[in-house]
Amino acid sequence: MTANNDSSELEALFDSIAADAKPATPAPKPVTPAPAVDKSGDDQELQDLFDSVASGYAAAPPETVPAAAAPAAGEAVESWPGQESVFNRIGHMARELHDNLRELGYDKLLEQTVSALPDAQDRLAYIANLTEQAACRVLNATDIANPLVEEMESGAAALGDRWDKLFANELSVEEFKQLAGETRAFLKDQLPQKTRATHAQLTEIMMAQDFQDLTGQVIKKIVALAQNLESGLMGVLIEVLPDTRRTDEVNSLMNGPVINAEGRNDVVVNQQQVDDLLDSLGF
Amino acid sequence: MAADPKMRFLVVDDFSTMRRIVRNLLKELGFTNVDEAEDGAIALQKLQGGGFEFVVTDWNMPNMDGLTLLQSIRATPSLKHLPVLMITAEAKKENIIAAAQAGASGYIVKPFTASTLSEKLNKIFEKMAQG
Repeated sequence: MTANNDSSELEALFDSIAADAKPATPAPKPVTPAPAVDKSGDDQELQDLFDSVASGYAAAPPETVPAAAAPAAGEAVESWPGQESVFNRIGHMARELHDNLRELGYDKLLEQTVSALPDAQDRLAYIANLTEQAACRVLNATDIANPLVEEMESGAAALGDRWDKLFANELSVEEFKQLAGETRAFLKDQLPQKTRATHAQLTEIMMAQDFQDLTGQVIKKIVALAQNLESGLMGVLIEVLPDTRRTDEVNSLMNGPVINAEGRNDVVVNQQQVDDLLDSLGF
Repeated sequence: MAADPKMRFLVVDDFSTMRRIVRNLLKELGFTNVDEAEDGAIALQKLQGGGFEFVVTDWNMPNMDGLTLLQSIRATPSLKHLPVLMITAEAKKENIIAAAQAGASGYIVKPFTASTLSEKLNKIFEKMAQG
């Protein structure tokens, strides 16, 4: 915790301030400098931080400090008031930054963004849920449809082989009659029934894609949140004017899908409730 | 249903997947004459070109949303008779009320099923036959 560990820039800053402070009175209170700082105006957190840093310095062997940080000063005794003044100024700068952020409204902006993060978690869980459901539906449908297609293929192949034999004159009249009957049954009953069943599964696969619409809307909202977070933090860093555009979600009619309807009575959760509401209003 | 299978539909949604699903469902129900638009502004342009008999629209879309499209249709003498079915993820009660007040012919919340679409279409066709 001695000045030896600090970066060269901080050291240079320290040196310049310490040099300014040096001509002041050679203070006779070198050993316990930290607690003497003016506490008024700082809030408790800043004060605690200050105290912990200051006590770290106070605990350091005094003779190393002037050697490293203020070699020109010559005497250890004279460097301490300079350090105090540095801490004071840094403390006030932190306080000013804190107040400025509050005045500019960034504390609210950041607070809002932070409070939106759990909502983003819910939204991501909603996406995971919908996509998982869709994947299951599609896989189930293909599991059902694949055997149907295979049966159609193998049935047609078997009949085709027997018809080949007929054309090669290898079948008796009785066998031919049987083949004709079976072929008719295949074409009129088995095939249409299996194609209908396959078609139903294709429809199921198509309907399972409806998640893309819903997740797309939710993803857009999360991207917007990430952009807000970024712009908020950037704004703090570069200290530009606050972007006061705030979407008033509460009064908006374009909220996208409801992620979690639990505990809300301003939303419907299924088509029946839509119909009931419209009926109750006479539409 | 007594509905004409040649009836020309306009499906309005900014997500192509959803347009495809609605188009396919309409095909299953026997309606093959379907056109698509990706937002309300494009939809209104197509509708003003004439020839459409039914509008199925999403709510939340860029450029022009579904409610504005509905209001524009109802405010246009040549279009105001068109049935407009809303299929949307917006599930707040005030959304449904706003849509009904603006003159929506039906309201379906996503995710929805094929049978829901069929049922709502039939209900609208019945009302059209009566009116």
